[in-house]
Amino acid sequence: MRVVVVGSGVSALTAAAILAKNGRQVLLIERQPEFGGALRQFKRKKIAFDVGFHYTGCAGSGEILDLIWSYCAIRPRLRVLPLGSEGHDRFEFTDRTPAVRGYFSYPRLAEELRQHFPAERAGIDTYLAAVRQICADVPFYHPEQPLLPFLRGYKNRPTSLAEFLVRHIGDRYLRAVLAAPGFLYGVPQSQASLEVHALVAHGYYSGAYTLDGGGQSLVDAFLAVLAASGVEMRSGESVEQVLVEGEKVVGVELAGGERVAADQVIYTGHPATLMGRVPASLFRPAYWHRLAGLANSLSLFAVFAEGERELDIHQGPLNYYLLPGSGDILSADPETPRQRRPMMMTGTRTAADELLHQGRNGIILLGLGYWQEVRQFEQSSSGRRPPGYEHYKARVAEEMIGVAEKRWGAVSGTIRPLAVGTPLTFRDELGAPEGCAYGAMHCLGQYNPEVRTRLPGLFLAGQSTVMTGVAGASISGLIAAGEILGLEQLWQDVVRCR
Amino acid sequence: MEAEDALRRRVVEVLAEEFELDPEKMVPEATLYEDLGLDSLDAVDMVVVLEKTFGMKLTDEEALRSIRTMEDLFQFLLRLQAAER
Ligand SMILES: Cc1cc2nc3c(=O)[nH]c(=O)nc-3n(C[C@H](O)[C@H](O)[C@H](O)COP(=O)(O)OP(=O)(O)OC[C@H]3O[C@@H](n4cnc5c(N)ncnc54)[C@H](O)[C@@H]3O)c2cc1C
Repeated sequence: MRVVVVGSGVSALTAAAILAKNGRQVLLIERQPEFGGALRQFKRKKIAFDVGFHYTGCAGSGEILDLIWSYCAIRPRLRVLPLGSEGHDRFEFTDRTPAVRGYFSYPRLAEELRQHFPAERAGIDTYLAAVRQICADVPFYHPEQPLLPFLRGYKNRPTSLAEFLVRHIGDRYLRAVLAAPGFLYGVPQSQASLEVHALVAHGYYSGAYTLDGGGQSLVDAFLAVLAASGVEMRSGESVEQVLVEGEKVVGVELAGGERVAADQVIYTGHPATLMGRVPASLFRPAYWHRLAGLANSLSLFAVFAEGERELDIHQGPLNYYLLPGSGDILSADPETPRQRRPMMMTGTRTAADELLHQGRNGIILLGLGYWQEVRQFEQSSSGRRPPGYEHYKARVAEEMIGVAEKRWGAVSGTIRPLAVGTPLTFRDELGAPEGCAYGAMHCLGQYNPEVRTRLPGLFLAGQSTVMTGVAGASISGLIAAGEILGLEQLWQDVVRCR
Repeated sequence: MEAEDALRRRVVEVLAEEFELDPEKMVPEATLYEDLGLDSLDAVDMVVVLEKTFGMKLTDEEALRSIRTMEDLFQFLLRLQAAER
């Protein structure tokens, strides 16, 4: 009885650890030379840079990530750093001062917003109450609730975030601050649903957390536990086919042609990329079309740089956001000029025991990017990009650094770029179609695939399924393992880790 | 009446194609689950296909859930179409 887990991002690591703990024989297969997916760090000039993990909600004591990590026995290996009640994101506008503090605490946030927007008191309360109310029926926020009715039951049709905000909030700057968590699930404001927005925002409004050593510490903790529990792990190998016999999964075929037998397969890559890897007639056309045609979340430009000074996230803000003063903060239009797009600056998180060996002045700038901007270079692969692309990339980086230095130079000092990521980089490094940062969009009018598929033994997991972000992807891994082991029993066992 | 027939034909046509069903079996009294072999996993795909085909949002969960036969489905879509007009 072997389970093959395809990928090694947080969803795959979570599923593998849970299955191994329950005595399953697990083989994890990752295409990249290193494990970790979006959580993997890379180093430049001794500075360790995170790509897909800067902060998360849901990691406080008894919250879902804490429960999953405890159940997987990795919790003792992690140092979770809560931001505390003063912790906040700083929201600035291109055309308005002063900055608004987005506290990671409901009462502190409400107080701050009322202070800045006294006329909007009722709207602020309505918004915060709505976010809380939506999450009241979600077992991931209220683990005492059973899982199956939530997963299998009918869900109400999602409603529009933009309409909700316009109905209740008059001030567009306040609307922008409230819509800002959209940056964490990558959906244009016009397509965002209040329900998905609430699922993400509630986590951060309830508390934000970083990890000592960043996302890599999570990967390392998982890898140590997986190795100790006998999980076989192969990197640098791509799963090219899911093998099927008589309507059942029998294994996978790797890029080199090697076949590996398996009774179950959990595929954590983008669901659209699975469609070319199963026999053509396996799924009904309706399902095939739906997965292959999933609309993707927005992409990003990322500048990994060295600042003059270290950003102190425990004294100052965790992240610095610059939001456009007009238009949607996340526009669906790929022609949106760069000065009308949001940008974020954050610092690297050096592990306490690495302080002596590592550079600490790492700075990461993330700016909204569109696939269409780099599409003309889509035929090129990493390391072999045309000069036109290199110029484009350098120009975008220079522009972003210029904005950051002007805005935040007082805290960062001069910023020197060490590496730049574009939608193409994310496509190639993370296997993300169109360089999407958050997988298939969780948005109005789109139905993301379930973890179960029609084929017995084949499951999907990852940020495109249940929910996005580190928390969402972890939950999808839990559910995939649960589909194999028995969902409700697993849920009870996980919740018992409180 | 003509519009109604056209809708019925179109539903049979797209569902037959997208779910690989036999159009002959898709008579009004055929049940989606027992007779046609669809199940709860197909429900979302069906909503997606019908929304795309008819350019309407199928938002009434209660009504959707009560659909058992092809005729129920026809009636549901006809009501929706009438309401949109
Ligand atoms: C720039 C950026 C910043 C982000 N910031 C945050 C943040 O601060 N907080 C937060 O919560 N979330 C953040 N996210 C989102 C978060 O990183 C993701 O939601 C999460 O890590 C996704 O995990 P996953 O397991 O679904 O996918 P991934 O981590 O992408 O893992 C999928 C893995 O599968 C492998 N794979 C795919 N196909 C195959 C195949 N056929 N064979 C073998 N291997 C295969 C890929 O190589 C990859 O390693 C950010 C994302 C980006 C891009």
